[in-house]
Amino acid sequence: MNDHLSRQFDLELENIRTRILQMGGLVEKQILAAIEGFSTGNVEQMQEVIRADREVDGYELGIDEDCTLLIARRQPAARDLRLVMAISRIVTDLERCGDKAAKIANKSRKIHRAGGQRTPRLSDVQQVGHLAIQMLHGALDSLARMDAEAARKVIGEDKAIDAAFNAILRQLVTYMMEDPRTISEALDIIWIAKAIERVGDHATNIAENVIYIVSGVDVRHSSAAPAVRREP
Amino acid sequence: MVCVALAAGVLHGPSWGWAVVALGCVWALIRQTRALRDLTASLDSIAEHPLPEVSGVVGQLVVRLGRRLRHEGRLRSAVEGELRSFRVAMDAIPDGLVVIDGQHQIVWANRAAGAHLGIHLPGDQGTIIEQLVRTPGFAEYLSGSGDQPPFIFQPSAALPRTYSIRMIALGERERLLASADVTEARRVEAMRSAFVANVSHELRTPLTVVHGFLEHLSDHQAMTVEERQHFVRLMSDQTRRMLSLVDDLLTLSRLESDDVPASNETVDMAELLAQLLAEGRGLSEGRHRIEVRCDGPGLRGSLGELHSAFGNLVSNAVRYTPAGGAIQISWLVREGQGIFSVSDSGMGIAAEHLPRITERFYRVDRGRSRETGGTGLGLAIVKHILLRHQADLQIDSQVGTGSTFTARIPSWRLSPARQDQCDRDRAD
Repeated sequence: MNDHLSRQFDLELENIRTRILQMGGLVEKQILAAIEGFSTGNVEQMQEVIRADREVDGYELGIDEDCTLLIARRQPAARDLRLVMAISRIVTDLERCGDKAAKIANKSRKIHRAGGQRTPRLSDVQQVGHLAIQMLHGALDSLARMDAEAARKVIGEDKAIDAAFNAILRQLVTYMMEDPRTISEALDIIWIAKAIERVGDHATNIAENVIYIVSGVDVRHSSAAPAVRREP
Repeated sequence: MVCVALAAGVLHGPSWGWAVVALGCVWALIRQTRALRDLTASLDSIAEHPLPEVSGVVGQLVVRLGRRLRHEGRLRSAVEGELRSFRVAMDAIPDGLVVIDGQHQIVWANRAAGAHLGIHLPGDQGTIIEQLVRTPGFAEYLSGSGDQPPFIFQPSAALPRTYSIRMIALGERERLLASADVTEARRVEAMRSAFVANVSHELRTPLTVVHGFLEHLSDHQAMTVEERQHFVRLMSDQTRRMLSLVDDLLTLSRLESDDVPASNETVDMAELLAQLLAEGRGLSEGRHRIEVRCDGPGLRGSLGELHSAFGNLVSNAVRYTPAGGAIQISWLVREGQGIFSVSDSGMGIAAEHLPRITERFYRVDRGRSRETGGTGLGLAIVKHILLRHQADLQIDSQVGTGSTFTARIPSWRLSPARQDQCDRDRAD
């Protein structure tokens, strides 16, 4: 990494990596804005999030195309090939995260348009949202630094988000049972919390792909089957 | 050697003499060659082997070389020392500094850059900066010309801090990025403009009401006495609100501009607490259960200011606790500090409001606090008065359970003599 990027091939590869990380930065901001919009009820902000999802989609198309071209033209091998393969997977995860941001914005717009909040669970959702953004940030950092250790740490954080999601769910169920008028809003909040929880899962996927790039070990579904070492 | 050769020449004939000379030359040549070889070898690994000790021309060479090397070593350690202290100075700078090359790869960064931008050397050296600083817009800023306004961004969701980044050209291709923490500056700026807007708004509302009534009065001359009285009462309520707002504003500005430290008169806490209790009960009109627990000494400070600060805390508790709730006012000594606290069983304050609640006009719920007659300046005044008494304000609150406002007063402001009076008061 420390040498100068002299070869054209290296430059192209780095360019793709920079672009996917930029896309990650945009997605991070989208999720943050969506969660902020949910807490503050700023409808303009939510509209902006929904609009900017097209930008994320644009990134996805561009990066996919670049990956295909790079494989076709340069026939990368070993770690370089793993990098390109992993990036084309990560791009999908990021695009999904972007969709989740738009979904959160959409649902919160609906909640706030419907009028006052009946369920006082705002700060919990915000908190778990920040956790998910932090996870995504950590996963992207590990991709930027090619740091498998940091990636493993990110994977470990997913448990906290799952636990927080379940806590929110239980709480909302209690509200719905106490007062059926809260059901429609509580359902929307569950959708939002679920979207946030999915962002955590996508961050985990990204981190797993980073481990795959660095060590050649596929750790996906590693609890189900022992990891197979496939060093080319 | 020459002597040995001459002696050999005289004794055994000239050919022996020449032979000795030749042998001597060969021997000297071998010695010098060997010395040169040793020298060459030791130059290859100059760190482990000292320079060989030899005589003759090569010996001279070795001595000079050694001198030169020592001199250069001293120079180098001086330069290294300077570089080290330069690095230390750079790391001590609160602004983040990053040098990037033409391909945006990180060449060097100081420590503050780690906190601001998440760049940590040596691991991140050579990484393209856009891969680490991914905030949308940053890449565009980097590819811009450099005379654009600074790039403002928030790096993390959990830690709401704002940084500004400026790009400065260094030579042909390299560029220096300087980041600064502008969180405070932006907050102060936002507060100042919000303050003006708030003051105007707070004064405008009652004025509008009064104005409306006055117009109504002049338009409708024929008005019953009851109607007229009702209007006058409402108007006087509004003017009272304006008055208390202006009073609070004046208090606040006096507290702020007053450089003289708070006076050191002795404050009888038992008396003050009794007064606070009476005021609290008056405000509550029997809707709350208010208790006082006095277990501490007297205080040295300004009676008027402390009365105003503590009174504000009590009246807040009364205002934000629903009827039937309990309020406890207590004064005691813990770990050498004087602790004045007001706990209530009120509605509580959500965690996100706590850091900002002492800001002027900051309101958790706009409509409700004006309804209860607050000016929005109470806690700001409390904070200022406590600051002038070197005390701090701590707020613990849970939504739905209640809040506790605690003023912690430093030990040197406590006067030990008044304990007994306090006990007597408790017995009442």
